[in-house]
Amino acid sequence: MKRMGAAAVLAAALLLSGCGKAALPYAREMGDMALLRTMGVDAEEEAGQVRVTVSTGKRAAGLQGESQPPLILSAGGESLSAACLSMQGLSDSYVFYGYVDQLLLGEEAALEGVEPVLDYFSRDVELGLGAQVWLVRGGTAQAAIQAGGETGVDSRLSTLQTDSEMGAAGITRTAGEVFSSLLEQGCAYLPALRAAGPEETEGQTVLLEAGYGVLRDGKLAGYLDGESAKGLELLTGQTAEDIIEVDLPSGRAVARITEVSTRCEPVFQGEELTGLRLYCRAAAELAEFHEPMDQGELAQLREALEEREGLRLRQVMEQLRGWGTDCTALGSQVAQADPARWEKLRGEWEERFSMIPYEVSVQVSVSRTYGDLA
Amino acid sequence: MGLFEPERTNSAPHPRKEPRFPEPLSRENLKKVFEGCVDYMERTVYLHGDRKRTVTVCYLLGMARNERLSDYVLRPLAQDPALSQVPEEELFARLQYGALYNLAANRRTTLDDVVNDLILGSCALFFPGRGDALTLPVVTEEKRSVGEPENEPALKGVRESFVESVRTNTAMVRRHLKAPELKIREHIVGRRSRTQVDVLYLDGIADPDTVERVRRRLDGMDIDGVEAAGNIEEYLTDHLNTPFPTMPYTQRPDRFCQALLEGRVGLMADGLPFAWMLPGTIDQFFKTGQDRAFHWMAASALNVIRWLCAFVTILVPGLYIALVTFHPEAIPVKLALSIVAAKQEVPFSTVFEVLIMLLAFEVLQEAGLRLPSPIGATVSILGGLVVGNAAVEAHIVSPAVLIAVAIAGVAGYAMPSQDFAAALRLWRFLLAILASAAGLFGLAAGCAALIYHLAGLETFGVPYLAPFTSGAGEPRGHSSLLRPPLPRMKWRDGARHTLNRRNQR
Repeated sequence: MKRMGAAAVLAAALLLSGCGKAALPYAREMGDMALLRTMGVDAEEEAGQVRVTVSTGKRAAGLQGESQPPLILSAGGESLSAACLSMQGLSDSYVFYGYVDQLLLGEEAALEGVEPVLDYFSRDVELGLGAQVWLVRGGTAQAAIQAGGETGVDSRLSTLQTDSEMGAAGITRTAGEVFSSLLEQGCAYLPALRAAGPEETEGQTVLLEAGYGVLRDGKLAGYLDGESAKGLELLTGQTAEDIIEVDLPSGRAVARITEVSTRCEPVFQGEELTGLRLYCRAAAELAEFHEPMDQGELAQLREALEEREGLRLRQVMEQLRGWGTDCTALGSQVAQADPARWEKLRGEWEERFSMIPYEVSVQVSVSRTYGDLA
Repeated sequence: MGLFEPERTNSAPHPRKEPRFPEPLSRENLKKVFEGCVDYMERTVYLHGDRKRTVTVCYLLGMARNERLSDYVLRPLAQDPALSQVPEEELFARLQYGALYNLAANRRTTLDDVVNDLILGSCALFFPGRGDALTLPVVTEEKRSVGEPENEPALKGVRESFVESVRTNTAMVRRHLKAPELKIREHIVGRRSRTQVDVLYLDGIADPDTVERVRRRLDGMDIDGVEAAGNIEEYLTDHLNTPFPTMPYTQRPDRFCQALLEGRVGLMADGLPFAWMLPGTIDQFFKTGQDRAFHWMAASALNVIRWLCAFVTILVPGLYIALVTFHPEAIPVKLALSIVAAKQEVPFSTVFEVLIMLLAFEVLQEAGLRLPSPIGATVSILGGLVVGNAAVEAHIVSPAVLIAVAIAGVAGYAMPSQDFAAALRLWRFLLAILASAAGLFGLAAGCAALIYHLAGLETFGVPYLAPFTSGAGEPRGHSSLLRPPLPRMKWRDGARHTLNRRNQR
């Protein structure tokens, strides 16, 4: 009993003396917090300066009423840490970064390099690499966040993320995925957004998908959009639901690409890598057609779809090879196919990837929504 | 000695006066013993009307049953002509061996024995000039009738419950277990109460060491009286410094008999309407009398739910404090937003809110228990619904705290053993305080201390966590978390050291 009493007194003394403050976690009241949901990083005009803009969602701050808009704060500094720290002084609530799950990168910041931002996310105790990363094409993250309006930009970004998971929007990427791609392959792709003004949307400013940005050595190398963006989705096997219209003799048919799988096989002659073969298998559903379709027309439709998808793949390959960025990790598929030869290729892969011949083979199976036609 | 080990100290001697009444056995001395006792009665009877032959009948009013005394003792004494004719020296033996209709007749030679017999409901016959006496049990059987077990309701099982009479209880057990191997050993505990405490076990199944250990501890008890369960439990248990019960009890004879069949040792005390099943391992406090009545899948699922409820009731308040105060990033976003919205305008810290609500919950529960049931229900409704709702609307507490505390409280009611639930409630407070000091670190440290504490407990030589951690080389029984189909439960638990482990073909 005496021992128990002594242990209790010692524990109380340790806690009350403040000695355990360094070792024990720090208590904060959630009611006094502003839960940040979105963070944007821009490069300032002055060299070496960054601007951080953050936003809460609706009802995400302790003193925020139900009808009040999301809290938006913006601060600049010589480093991300300094900018984030100065943010605390701008708010009545404790600014909490633990719920930041959307990261917007301004185009200028991406051109200067995204690795410091991702590195900061990996090291900070509150931020995490699970946040979704978006590139603001032709604009700043601050403007994109302010375009969120009454509902907040996080609402729009969450919708895009959910749509992507359901296959209704393009590929999304987390900070961890982009950072690990940069560290392992030296390049990465990430989804791009653009702010569409009221004149375009007949209303308020809205963030819309704008293809993908490709990073090389941590810096923005260029954008993939249109058919190239679709080609990237084919190459990664993560295609969003894609609608393709084909003119047939009996009329126009509309097919929906529902599933894609692409693999890369290396072609060796002796020890020399002489080429790459890309095999793409896609499943399409016949969404609209006007007349009963015979086997001949079905074959025409299939050929048209294969040609279209092949074209997309070739377009994206040409662009990626032009930048020397194997951001879809075709090299790792070569490594898996032949690890021993890959060891010799690894060092010069970027250079080889830009020059190596490749073949594209696409196979599409078409089905109707209520039965298989092919 | 571990941190939570009970401290064993040698107390000062407490000598028992033996015999309690050293005077020679006589009617006069017996009368002196019961001097000032209004219920002490004497009646002198002429044997078959012979004024030269008298016998004095002594008894305690209310302890002896009048009809038995009249029919089995007084009537033969007054009407049997043989009693007036038999030689004086044979009279005593004749009464002892058949002239009276009583079931038993005992010759007593010491005042102590006669006093004890009278207290237990016998009458004593004193013959002039003799230094011994004859005692005849004519005990009254006035007691509460056998009813339904209120604390362990039966949906699909027997509807009888132990009562305050130990002999009625042993008879109920005997009716369930007709084996002659069922042994019932009696001990008298309490200097003043002289309570009958019976040890029941199945010879050939129960561990003789455990039986001996229980009996030795009963013999070693030297207290004034047994008026409450604690008078037995706190003297028999190995560990006093734990809130966790180590002696499970039941009101149900069927569950008690099942425990005897599993190799446990039973314990009953006169005046207490339940029986203990020893040794008590942690799984016993999660079992109900219905576990073997329901389908094994349903019984297993319910058992898992009860374990889950134990974790919920002990961890939820501490976990809420730790997450909301120290580790908000671990809360899912939407839940965090709800908590922030609910916390707006609440003036108190989360720690204060939770601890106060836990305390309020205990106060309401205690108030509900102490009041008569109709008023108790009103207090619960007033306290739980009206005051709770008003406190939330007035922004004195946040709804999230109210929900967390209510979930923890209600989960505690899922425990079949209220003793175990009370221990969990105490630890719930401790873990909440630790979480208030150091978040998840404090909570994890508290959980580690709890496991350390439980692992250090033993009951009658068996580890408290025996169903999960038997000793080295000891065979384990069947799963304690799930209840397998009964045809597959062929083995008794090895940790109890039963003599015969197989329980079926």
